[in-house]
Amino acid sequence: MGTFPLELFGKKLRNPVMNASGTLGYGKEIERLWKISTLGAFVTKGLSVFPHKGNPQPRILDLGFGMLNSIGLQNFGIKRFLEEYTEFFIRRKTPVILNIFGFTEDEYVECGRLIGENPAVLALEANLSCPNVKQGGIIFGKDPKIVGRIVRGLKSVTKIPVLVKLSSEVTDIVEIAYAAYEAGADGLTLINTLPGMWKERDTLVRGGISGPFLKFLALKAIYDCKRSLPIPIVGAGGIMNVKDAILFLEAGCSAIQVGTATFLDPLAIPKIVKGLKAYFKRGQKW
Amino acid sequence: MKDMEVTVIENREVIKDHFLLKAKVKGRIPAFRPGQFVMVKIQGPQVFLRRPFTAYECEKDTISILYKVKGVGTRVLSKMKRGEKTFILGPCGRGFSITERELYVVIAGGIGVAGVNLLIKSLKKNVWIFFGTSSSSNLSLLGNLTNYDLFISTLDGTYGKKGDVISLFREKIDDLKNKDVEIFACGPKEMYKSLKDALLKYRLPCQVLYEERMACGMGLCFGCVVETLDPKDPIKRVCYEGPVFSLWELSL
Repeated sequence: MGTFPLELFGKKLRNPVMNASGTLGYGKEIERLWKISTLGAFVTKGLSVFPHKGNPQPRILDLGFGMLNSIGLQNFGIKRFLEEYTEFFIRRKTPVILNIFGFTEDEYVECGRLIGENPAVLALEANLSCPNVKQGGIIFGKDPKIVGRIVRGLKSVTKIPVLVKLSSEVTDIVEIAYAAYEAGADGLTLINTLPGMWKERDTLVRGGISGPFLKFLALKAIYDCKRSLPIPIVGAGGIMNVKDAILFLEAGCSAIQVGTATFLDPLAIPKIVKGLKAYFKRGQKW
Repeated sequence: MKDMEVTVIENREVIKDHFLLKAKVKGRIPAFRPGQFVMVKIQGPQVFLRRPFTAYECEKDTISILYKVKGVGTRVLSKMKRGEKTFILGPCGRGFSITERELYVVIAGGIGVAGVNLLIKSLKKNVWIFFGTSSSSNLSLLGNLTNYDLFISTLDGTYGKKGDVISLFREKIDDLKNKDVEIFACGPKEMYKSLKDALLKYRLPCQVLYEERMACGMGLCFGCVVETLDPKDPIKRVCYEGPVFSLWELSL
């Protein structure tokens, strides 16, 4: 059973609510509506060693029950994020989880090396499950040997705890998660969007499908990994409201991430934080 | 910026497939700059994401949007009845920037007129409006903009000059070369391409309202980006750095 406030990787977090990577920009944008310090921790959009321009249009498709996105990990590079944003998050007393990715195994490790010691950073989240890029991402995350090598590489260059974000689109997620654990991963983020495809303007577009339906897949992955591995799990996928958040915490998650819900209701995160506070105040635990 | 609960007070078809939706906000609405937009939550089983619409008119507690039914989202929106409630997030994005000029030229292609209505109202004087549409049956989209200096083209030639609006604009371009003028435009991407060609001769200042499919409307998801000529950050978010861009900044 968890406690509130939460302790994760030796640090106290205000609450167990985070955003999912790529759904709150670089962090400052949402402050026109609510303070980033509402979050237990902020998760960056995917950052790489070199700036990356992402995919061409179209990038978004409304599926009616969820969305398909093909952003393609556009970002201005990990160095620029650390230079321009570290102070902002320190001032907001909001720990940062740096979501990182590479197109090669070495690039993942290089991300870890670039961070050095940074007081704002709570953990790294190695994205080994993005369905939107042709190299890296989910291709690496399907192979336990590569997952193990990347985690070992990261652990050898940084003392910052490493979370591994995995996809449930594999034959056996526990096998992949176990490889990450054995290589020294400090936690898991489960799960990412699922790979999908659509055709538009005569072009086939690959993307990641997200939306409330994901929670059923996420909960299964979380349940399976929780039974087999003794490391914290951050739950992500289809969390739309406080009821979903409680469900994930009860399933064994140490913290949760809210993604697509923010696009439907930009106040979804503050509402979930408020709802959880009330839930815990009533003496409930997870 | 606020996520406002609104009640639909009017949602009428202006001309075929074009609707004007007026919604009443609880309390006062925040100030909107011309060109800023809203993200409307559309209540319907087949619609998941919100949809962006430029603010057409803003009064102290009502906001209007003028839209064309193009896909599932706008089709469901067009079925919303008076009294129904929904949510509108706004104001989103950066609007047009208006400086003192001798003359303002506003170019609107079709439903693009919805994007410049608020702008034209705030300019008040010395405005030339170029409006291009497919046929004379669409002229009522101009609403009460008929009090301005109007230049109209229709593709089928049923009113004004036959052809597209940029060809019409080209005929007047030499009159602008010695004037202190600012051009504003709202229309499809192809229109911006030919507008850029037309303006290359004098390279007059021109702001355009750019449209792209969006998920969040506030710079969070990077879904609505457009390529620009900015060497530091070439890929810009339409919802955050836009939707208004300098025509010369866009990589068209």
